[in-house]
Amino acid sequence: MRKYETFFIVDPDLPDDITASVDEKIKSIITAQGGIVINYTPWGKKKLAYPVKKRSRGLYVLAEYSGGPALVAELERNMRLDERVLKFITVKLEDRFDPETELPREVKTSPAFDEDDDILLATSKTSEDEEEELSEEEFEEEENE
Amino acid sequence: MAFKRRRRTFHRRKVCRFCVDSELRIDYKDPKTLRYFVTERGKIVPRRISGNCAKHQRVLTLAIKRARQVALLPFTTIHTI
Repeated sequence: MRKYETFFIVDPDLPDDITASVDEKIKSIITAQGGIVINYTPWGKKKLAYPVKKRSRGLYVLAEYSGGPALVAELERNMRLDERVLKFITVKLEDRFDPETELPREVKTSPAFDEDDDILLATSKTSEDEEEELSEEEFEEEENE
Repeated sequence: MAFKRRRRTFHRRKVCRFCVDSELRIDYKDPKTLRYFVTERGKIVPRRISGNCAKHQRVLTLAIKRARQVALLPFTTIHTI
């Protein structure tokens, strides 16, 4: 069994019961193919860096599961067909994953961003960054040529 | 161009931030950390400026490209135009 995670974006304007039905659908596909859902965490709504399917906000969900390679193909196929899922990416985390031994030791990954975190908001420059600023200016000049 | 501008050698002895602090994880889902390695226009900062080692720069590039795919980082800032 391999351990995968799929990070996907769901349409944010849907009512809660439809979002719950999307969750159920994803989980049922995983278990139907003989996989095990390790974590299923909705990360919340966030402003997207660029418009996706004409929407500027999205509801992020992270699903960690283990299963065979065919499971991933099947899950992605279903996500592609479903109109409520806007984007997805699947990453393989581990090649060999033994559910019995490792499941109790699982660490839940909590969301790394707060809601409405604007990506293009400039972070305050610390003194560490000041050193970089000199050469970064040169770099920026090259950019604007 | 008649002559090449003489470039002082970059004495970038700055250490790789990820080698020093082993608690830092490069994750495509974490735009806060990744933001430091992307310019204002959204371009990836080269290694000679960020000071990363080769290994971490490769991992970082992969993470930034994945984050762009899930709209956590922009490809470019002229989306708005």
